[in-house]
Amino acid sequence: MAKKEIKAALIYSFATKKTSTAAKLIKENLNELNLTEIDAEGLNAGELEQYDILIAGAATWFDGELPTFWDEQIPALEDLNLKGKHVALFGIGNQVEYPEHFGDSIGLLADVFASTSAKIIGATSTEGYTFEDSKSVRNNQFVGLMLDFENQHNLNESRIENWCKQLKKQLT
Amino acid sequence: MAYIRRNDKPFGIKQTPKETLEKWYYLMALGRTLDERAPNYLKQAIGWSYHAPYAGHDGIQLAIGQVFEKNVDHLFPYYRDMLTAISAGMTGEEIILNGISKATDPSSGGRHMSNHFAKPEWNVHNVSSCTGNHTQQASGVGRAFKRYNHKGVVISSQGESSVSEGYVYEAINGASNEELPVIFVLQDNGYGISVPKKDQTANRKAANNFLGFKNLQVFHCNGKDVFDSMNTMNEAKKWVIENQKPAIVHASCVRIHSHSNSDRHELYRDKGELEYVQAADPLAKYRRMLISYGRFTEDELNAIDEKVKQEVKAAHKAAMAAPDPDPKSIYDFLFPEAYAATKFGNGSHNETGTPVKLIEALNTTLKEEFRNNPDTFIWGQDMANKDKGGIFNVSKGLQQEFGPERVFNGPIAEDYILGTANGMSRYSDKLRLVVEGAEFADYFWPAMEQFVDSAHDYWRSNGKFSPNITIRLASGGYIGGGLYHSQNIESALASIPGVRIVYPSFADDAAGLLRTSIRSKGITVFMEPKALYNSSKAATAVPDGFEVPFGKARIRREGTDLSIITYGNTTHMSIDAAERLEKEFGYKAEVVDIRSLVPLDKETIIASIKKTSKALIVHEDKVFAGFGGELAAIIAEDAFSFLDGPVKRIGATNTPVGFNRILEAAILPNEQKIFDAALSLIKY
Repeated sequence: MAKKEIKAALIYSFATKKTSTAAKLIKENLNELNLTEIDAEGLNAGELEQYDILIAGAATWFDGELPTFWDEQIPALEDLNLKGKHVALFGIGNQVEYPEHFGDSIGLLADVFASTSAKIIGATSTEGYTFEDSKSVRNNQFVGLMLDFENQHNLNESRIENWCKQLKKQLT
Repeated sequence: MAYIRRNDKPFGIKQTPKETLEKWYYLMALGRTLDERAPNYLKQAIGWSYHAPYAGHDGIQLAIGQVFEKNVDHLFPYYRDMLTAISAGMTGEEIILNGISKATDPSSGGRHMSNHFAKPEWNVHNVSSCTGNHTQQASGVGRAFKRYNHKGVVISSQGESSVSEGYVYEAINGASNEELPVIFVLQDNGYGISVPKKDQTANRKAANNFLGFKNLQVFHCNGKDVFDSMNTMNEAKKWVIENQKPAIVHASCVRIHSHSNSDRHELYRDKGELEYVQAADPLAKYRRMLISYGRFTEDELNAIDEKVKQEVKAAHKAAMAAPDPDPKSIYDFLFPEAYAATKFGNGSHNETGTPVKLIEALNTTLKEEFRNNPDTFIWGQDMANKDKGGIFNVSKGLQQEFGPERVFNGPIAEDYILGTANGMSRYSDKLRLVVEGAEFADYFWPAMEQFVDSAHDYWRSNGKFSPNITIRLASGGYIGGGLYHSQNIESALASIPGVRIVYPSFADDAAGLLRTSIRSKGITVFMEPKALYNSSKAATAVPDGFEVPFGKARIRREGTDLSIITYGNTTHMSIDAAERLEKEFGYKAEVVDIRSLVPLDKETIIASIKKTSKALIVHEDKVFAGFGGELAAIIAEDAFSFLDGPVKRIGATNTPVGFNRILEAAILPNEQKIFDAALSLIKY
């Protein structure tokens, strides 16, 4: 379990519906981390360096893209030095409508955060999902938590719970 | 694939010089201002009745224009490419001149639809509205680049839905097979008007359909993002030039507005979707980034916006004051200059040497013209494989003499054969292209969209571009060929303005008309009566360098009792029938071989009817809706007062041509049918 002095942030767009819903559940499940919520829209990337743990969430837009507000931040994020920090990612995808790039967003964010020397944690199994391809799959696992509100809404809570338990273990 | 940091790429918000960022912002603001103002011209009934807004494609369109190098590269923009045209160098005034169809519109002088931006003098081509058909022309330019060792790229731009068209597949397949330096840019906004891309093809990214194509590199980019688009287009151009092979750039875009001003996207897109695409507005994103990364202040950008506003205002004023097209100009640039074939007067001679067969006359003339002009090329199906030279061996020996660079096979893709001829013509007007349009004229139909488009080119570009192509077609029946080896298609082709059509029936005329066709600018359909290739009746002496001008008929037999107006296979039957009439009844029928359907020698036809007062029109094609209907109408209108009887027509029945020889004989005209009709008319 993370020590109390560790600073942790939860970053997502406050204007979203599904991502916000997931973020709220994550916050509840990680109550001990005392997560500071940061709106991804209007993010000042430089502020992230003060945190030890970053939990970032994004839906996948169009055919496998980050939401515009995240995409705009990438040049700023790339210049951060997050060595020694932990980054966990959660994303929203739709495996029925967009099976060719299911939940690409967390893979895209993982590349960016990895380039800052952060340690990416929270990989999850791809079992239980049906899709063709995803930029979020690394070593046969999702690089973070994948949620499908349209097609597997009833699994969201348990997936979030399990993922948060996993994060707690990895952060211990 | 290893992650490449955006900050390490050639273009990015941090590393791109400020003056470059400023230029891009200016171009994007100018484009968007015009894109948003365009509908006002329609609302005020000024013009621009066709406008396909580009908002949402800003990144990729800026990038296409920026990588395009005037007079080195060739660019084929499509009807949504306003920013592409601006980024390539067109001014706001030029855009408005096109939008409101003024005489000084650089694209077409007000002839083509609005929103079809072009500047042929820079090789920004004037293209059809037929979505994506310029891909074949782009491949044709790419082939010319290869033949002439030209260093540059051809960029074909289009929507992703156009890839559903078979001719786009043909173009990309051809570019892959011939290894042509072409970039096909697919601007993917998810819709073909209202048809979502899931109804177009199984892959959400249409470019991925081509991943199995050899020699082809597929790039993907975010077409809504300026930097990703710039990096990808630069990388693609570099790859194509270095490898001399084609590429596809698939750019993910959004369509913020309706397809065009005749579409209402709210009928098929909900509010949520419209908000979603609006949130991805590329211009708004670029502006936000310029400010948030401290590259520009809001005031600096506002100043550029103001400059654009004033510029558009001035452009509007200038364009409104520009002259409208003159209605008297409608016949200008219908046909480009024909070769002045004056050496043999109206295309006749008194040579009495050894007769040569029609097929030999064609073969000899092709060789002579290819020796005469090194910028001649010929291709088609079955054109060149060892001793095979054309489906009927008309071009036998050409590849051996002129090499595979000038004489080569085409794929079984008639549209591609013609479309690439159009494209090669765009490289330089010194080129003269000869194509065997199809194995048989019957199979030319798949090429009709390129045919119609090419027919329009000279007129549509206001005289700035003419495809210089001779389309050879082995035509007609009498060979027991059935439905698909007997067709005559000249009446359908003659209904399309802008092409010449000739149909010789003797070896000398075939040689003379082929020479004139190859030497002329423009398109000539050269119909070859294949039943006469080896016929002794069609064999004649052919003087050296024989030439026949277009639009000059030839009296093949003098007469005073009846005019038989004919061409092609039926010329010989008409002559035979005329000889019988004289022999059996003492009547003298005059046989007028029109040789050239478009342009038509009305003068000779009318002069003959003045002399005989009777007109019998004979052709092999169906009487119903055949070219004879046009001839009959002309005679009725211009020579009615000279007639002493009805204008009669003999031709095929209004049926397909049956394969069994008994059926063929019942369907096609013959000497007896002509004889009977002629006798009846003389006695009328």
